[in-house]
Amino acid sequence: MLNLTPYILLLPLAGFVALGLLGRALPRMAISLIGCGVVLAAFALAVADFIAMLGVAPDARFSIVQPWTWVISGSLKIPFGLLSDPLSAVMLLIVTGVGFLIHVYSIGYMADDPGYWRFFSFLNLFIFTMALLVAADNFLMLLVGWGGVGLASFLLIGFWYTRPSAVAAARKAFVVNVIGDFGLLLAIFLIFKTFGTLQYSSLLRGPILIIPSTFGPPVLSHPALSTSSATITAIALLLFVAAAAKSAQLPLHVWLPDAMEGPTPVSALIHAATMVTAGVYLVARASAIFSASPTALAVVGIVGGATALFAATIACVQMDIKRVLAYSTMSQLGYMFMGEAAGGFSSGIFHLTTHAYFKALLFMAAGAVIHALAGEQDMRKMGGLRAKLPRTFWLFVIGGLALAAVFPLSGFWSKDGILSVVLERARTDGGTGWYVLYGVGLVTAILTGFYIFRLIFGVFLGTYRGEPVAAHGAHGAADDARDPLRNVREVGTTMMVPMVILGILSVIGGFYGTPWNDAIGTFLEPSTHTVNMGIPPGSGLFLSGFALGLVTGPIGIAIAWALYARRQPRFAPSRNPLVVLLQHKYYIDELYNAVFVVPVTSIGALWRIGLEDGLFGRGSSGLGQVVGGMSKGLRRLQTGYARNYALAIFIGAALILVYFVVHP
Amino acid sequence: MPVTAYLIVSALLFTIGAIGVLVRRNPLVMFMSIELMLNAVNLSFMAFAHFLNSVDGWMFVFLVLTVAAAEVVVGLAIIVSIFRTRHEIDVDELNTLKG
Repeated sequence: MLNLTPYILLLPLAGFVALGLLGRALPRMAISLIGCGVVLAAFALAVADFIAMLGVAPDARFSIVQPWTWVISGSLKIPFGLLSDPLSAVMLLIVTGVGFLIHVYSIGYMADDPGYWRFFSFLNLFIFTMALLVAADNFLMLLVGWGGVGLASFLLIGFWYTRPSAVAAARKAFVVNVIGDFGLLLAIFLIFKTFGTLQYSSLLRGPILIIPSTFGPPVLSHPALSTSSATITAIALLLFVAAAAKSAQLPLHVWLPDAMEGPTPVSALIHAATMVTAGVYLVARASAIFSASPTALAVVGIVGGATALFAATIACVQMDIKRVLAYSTMSQLGYMFMGEAAGGFSSGIFHLTTHAYFKALLFMAAGAVIHALAGEQDMRKMGGLRAKLPRTFWLFVIGGLALAAVFPLSGFWSKDGILSVVLERARTDGGTGWYVLYGVGLVTAILTGFYIFRLIFGVFLGTYRGEPVAAHGAHGAADDARDPLRNVREVGTTMMVPMVILGILSVIGGFYGTPWNDAIGTFLEPSTHTVNMGIPPGSGLFLSGFALGLVTGPIGIAIAWALYARRQPRFAPSRNPLVVLLQHKYYIDELYNAVFVVPVTSIGALWRIGLEDGLFGRGSSGLGQVVGGMSKGLRRLQTGYARNYALAIFIGAALILVYFVVHP
Repeated sequence: MPVTAYLIVSALLFTIGAIGVLVRRNPLVMFMSIELMLNAVNLSFMAFAHFLNSVDGWMFVFLVLTVAAAEVVVGLAIIVSIFRTRHEIDVDELNTLKG
């Protein structure tokens, strides 16, 4: 079978190296062409791979390229292997496809930035590492990509490195992600100790045979599994630590809202469409391990459901439009984990794809608003922009409808898929917990419709509440006080075209995963071993679930309409303790600050004053002073008079002579 | 004549040369004094060679003469180049390497 994965990886890597080394000297046109061109070419190769994959039988859709052996150490032998299978094909399509659109958008968004070449170089690096993450054929190379996307994310969050807040956010993201990397590393150790290999192919398809049962977790036949399932649970939980850190799940979510300090295309690409979904990918990739441990799946479900609800509630009170979208991303990622926890691994990946379309679209549209208002992100200072930005408004509405899961947009089908999987699990399992999770999903769906349309109504309807917007490129207040929005313009073609394409995808992107024709679920089956495809259509339960899915989004939108679709919506600070709690994001940041950050920094300060300054600082400078004083005395000997040296030589020679005379 | 006589002359010559190196400040004269010391050593070499009936001393003398010639060439070149740059050759003035 065709396997072009090495070239898909090589192209963005070449772009990164070329732009990183030569970018400073290149004209902007050339930077844009290289930066976008390599990703477009990678996308073309991913499409070619995908089409070739569709042409063969489902069982033959695996191929591995192993150009060389990477690590040999004792019994550990790891080839540099790249896997091409349905799951990695879908992920590569999303990464390169949505990635390309965001590259094009960046041409317009970053046009005036002095770090233009650096930005595209980092974006290419991100595409390369993300492609490595999803195309790796073993856990160790996955870790390389895993760390690589963390690095690219760090570099891009801190892209505007002169802003202290951006640097702090980048550091926070990196530290939290390293917690996840550590979990992944421990999981890798445990996998190697238990199974003796890190290859997916022998691990997830070979020794561990998946025997699909009628329902319930698949039976794994491996000696290690029968002896202790506690080991498998430990592996799965450690993998989920990594997934939770990368995908901003409780309690490792704190970095994602702060990551909005990065440029908006970065938020769209890394912190909405691709990188944060790596955790969802990891759980789907290791579905055989997760399925073997009901405990781990329960943890995934609890964390996913809690995060979905938690983030959605916070999003309801945020004022920064990018932060609303950030919390929305967390919430949607929680949704994906809920689906995976119920055994519907393909439903999680399906929601991942549709979420990539509409959330990237929403971020891009938010970026267009921010661009038009010269950097303003606070929705209290917006309003009434619909007349000035009609196309952005309609694209925002399309993205919002898809996010709120309104029939028949893409988000409806994927969210319905997840809810259906959870309900099916609840029906077959009979556990109350799954019904609670289903309820959490419904409540979150209502909240989702509410917060996103609160945002849309607040930004686009009513009257404008902000300062007059200065002309593009000019500094100081606008000259015309009668129309503060006189200088507000729609964004240019390079930014509008990717948004329109994503808008179309947000509308139609769900049709490959309807309950009647779950094309993506069937396609992913060989990779994800999905045991739960949701409630079969036709039954009464299916109809009621479908009906609930139909009404939840519109209910939330209706509440938002009642509260915020007016001339002067009330964004004034509320004394309601619940609202205050939400505005402070449940005080999680304050808690972590008190429990982790303050002790660490005070211990650090203690060491710095006591050890660094006291012992090492004074000790080493004292040693230097002793040596300096000694040499100050000794340098008197160096008179510079040749005859003094000659005298010293003669005296020395005479003394040696005397010595030999005295001791013959 | 006993070998002692030759050695006394050699020692006298060597001492004169050593004192010359130490007290004179003109590098040319210092060089001449160094030659004197070398030749004092040559003299003792020859004396021992004669009295011990060995040709080894002769060989050392030739070696010393060759080295002395080479040393003078290099030394004079250095002196000339110092004179060209500083227009004086008093060794006590050449104390740039003072610590």
